[in-house]
Amino acid sequence: MKRNRKKSNPGISPNGDQPTAASEQLVVVPRAPLKSTLESTEDLGGALFVLEGTDGSGRSTQIALLTEWLESQGFAVQTMGLRRSTLLAKDIDVLLGENTVTRLTLALMYATDFYDQLENRILPALRSGLIVLADRYIYTLMARGVARGLHRKYLHGIYEKALRPDVTIWLDVRPELAFERLFKKSQAISYWEAGRDMFLSSDLYQSFVRYQTMIRKEFDFLAKRYGLNRLDGERSVPEINRDLRKAIAARLHIRSTRYQPSHALAHLWR
Amino acid sequence: MEQTAERPDSAKHFPKRRYTGALVVVEGIDGSGKSTQLYLLKRWLEISGYRLHFTEWNSSPLVKSATKRGKQRRMLTPTTYSLIHAADFADRFERQIFPLLQGGYLVLADRYIYTAFARDSARGCSPEWLRNLYAFAPVPDLTFYFRAPLEVAVQRILSGRPKLKYYEAGMDLSLAYDRAESFRIFQGMILDAYDRMVDTDGFVLMDGTQPVNKLQKQMREVLQARVDLKRFLPEK
Repeated sequence: MKRNRKKSNPGISPNGDQPTAASEQLVVVPRAPLKSTLESTEDLGGALFVLEGTDGSGRSTQIALLTEWLESQGFAVQTMGLRRSTLLAKDIDVLLGENTVTRLTLALMYATDFYDQLENRILPALRSGLIVLADRYIYTLMARGVARGLHRKYLHGIYEKALRPDVTIWLDVRPELAFERLFKKSQAISYWEAGRDMFLSSDLYQSFVRYQTMIRKEFDFLAKRYGLNRLDGERSVPEINRDLRKAIAARLHIRSTRYQPSHALAHLWR
Repeated sequence: MEQTAERPDSAKHFPKRRYTGALVVVEGIDGSGKSTQLYLLKRWLEISGYRLHFTEWNSSPLVKSATKRGKQRRMLTPTTYSLIHAADFADRFERQIFPLLQGGYLVLADRYIYTAFARDSARGCSPEWLRNLYAFAPVPDLTFYFRAPLEVAVQRILSGRPKLKYYEAGMDLSLAYDRAESFRIFQGMILDAYDRMVDTDGFVLMDGTQPVNKLQKQMREVLQARVDLKRFLPEK
């Protein structure tokens, strides 16, 4: 990557001047990801791209395709998502099954799950120059918390130590369409997808739409606050994928964004 | 009863939750004598017939397996160590401590959020981040801080315990190769963190080197002066 080269040559500043103070070369940024609030991916070497969006917005399909495309371009890819930590992903599954847990405890369990992946898997991957594709990130976790009545500032405080992504794209889909897609995929809507813990409506469809509308509103706020890029997620998979490739290519200085999925992934391409 | 202590800034993120009970907390490093003293206080109140509930800083079944796994495999970072304990505490707080406070109980807690503030900040988490993390928990009506000199407290623990656990000894911080030595350094850091909170958090300082019965007498006096105990007696 271009900026890596720039990094490896610290003696010359971008405008060609010699560094003025000796201290400029001596500044060592301590590697303390556990304490530091904002470590940028630039310091680390790799790059972090995040796909956000409600259930049924097509994130996982896009991630599968992007992984293939990036690998064909010669980039090593690592993925992350929610409930995928070795530390307690399974425990969260159990809790969700029992649904006796309170919103606060659940929010903190998700935070633990998130940071376990970030610190034990993602930061090392980025330091090795890998490209990380995240299937959801802190924004979903914050939006869910806010929908359940936790204070924004509280959640933002918990996630302030999280690495800021290079690019975050929010695949925006109306809840009505998301419902349709989810139902088509699994013939069911889960208790949590419908936000049934919030007693919004005894009617499954109504509950889903109301809950996802709350999440969507919060995403709208988060997009402005954190510079998330909103993308119309209601278009076809190839159309969305082209936009995503463009955004990533610009960041990684990949010249061509041409891509045709392999036979194995062709079924996603519609 | 109205709360007298100042609420930290971060607590403003949570609506002020009112309760009719009272929360009395003991804090201090391992071996400071706090648990013994709280036990004696509890016995005294129980025998006198007060409505009370006792709670300890240990795992709720909910998070126990994850915490155990994380510790066994030594995969906890300072952040996840702190978060998993916060999740654990939140569970106990929301399902036990707070409902009891609302129900008008005198709740006695062996360790509270200050344990996390001291221990996790010694591990490198920022105090502001920690204060925010625990902003859901109200400031206690009364916090006793048992302070014993480091060597006294450490000796009490080392003599009575065959083997210190990895995280307990702070081995994750690479302070020393020897577990006992690491424990000593780690406890010293926690002690410093506690000391810094004495004024900011209004701790009642208790000298852990005093004889047990003398300390207990003092503890009962402070409790009676600071908390209106009559309302925890059953109506006749």
